[in-house]
Amino acid sequence: MTKKTKECYFCVNNLDVDYKDTRTLRRFVNFYMKILPGDRTGVCAWHQRKLATAIKRSRVMALLSATHK
Amino acid sequence: MSKTKAAGTTHYEILFILPNKFTEDEAKKVMDKVGQLITTTGGQLTHNEFWGKKKLAYEIKHNAYGYYGLFEFDLEGKLLAAIDKNLRLSADILRHQIVVKKVKSAEEIARAEAIRAKIDSKKAADKKKEEKEKKASTTEAPAKTKKADDKRVDLKDLDKKLEGILNAKDLI
Repeated sequence: MTKKTKECYFCVNNLDVDYKDTRTLRRFVNFYMKILPGDRTGVCAWHQRKLATAIKRSRVMALLSATHK
Repeated sequence: MSKTKAAGTTHYEILFILPNKFTEDEAKKVMDKVGQLITTTGGQLTHNEFWGKKKLAYEIKHNAYGYYGLFEFDLEGKLLAAIDKNLRLSADILRHQIVVKKVKSAEEIARAEAIRAKIDSKKAADKKKEEKEKKASTTEAPAKTKKADDKRVDLKDLDKKLEGILNAKDLI
């Protein structure tokens, strides 16, 4: 689970959102594999939009599960 | 975007899953076929990756495992549909996904590197600060023990005072 952070993870570390990097994406998804809202993740709005599409893309390619089962 | 449009090609990235029925060598051969398909339709391969066998997050057509392959290529936009259709109809490929990949210009790369350097320097500065604070805390520690000594002295004084009071009471 991600803690409440004030700074955007991707801005601070100068990273691009990548749909193949499941280890990073897993941080922005809850136990039920639902995408966490921006106010919970602390990610800026621009990156939160990229993040949501990246998570959906990795679900399509079976890199991330869509449910917790 | 405008640069890639002027050149007439777009940079794409394709990730595909091959079923578990193949051995690793066979899977690599299928991957080569995919590469050939892209080049024959007029694409230029710029990068390839073979991830090997991985567990899928969920079963696809009763396959719990699959081989992942990745290509990056430049292609004219209107030719992409042909590749997509061909792969969709192929029985050798479980699933594929083609994504437009943004090509970073030299300026953007330089800017990113500058930001990275800034971040690194900031991190180094933070570390130094922490070390300084640590040192400060270690110097503070002996001071605390001194204070403790002072307290002991106080206790002794208190005892003496108490004894004095008790003696006084006895006198009364």
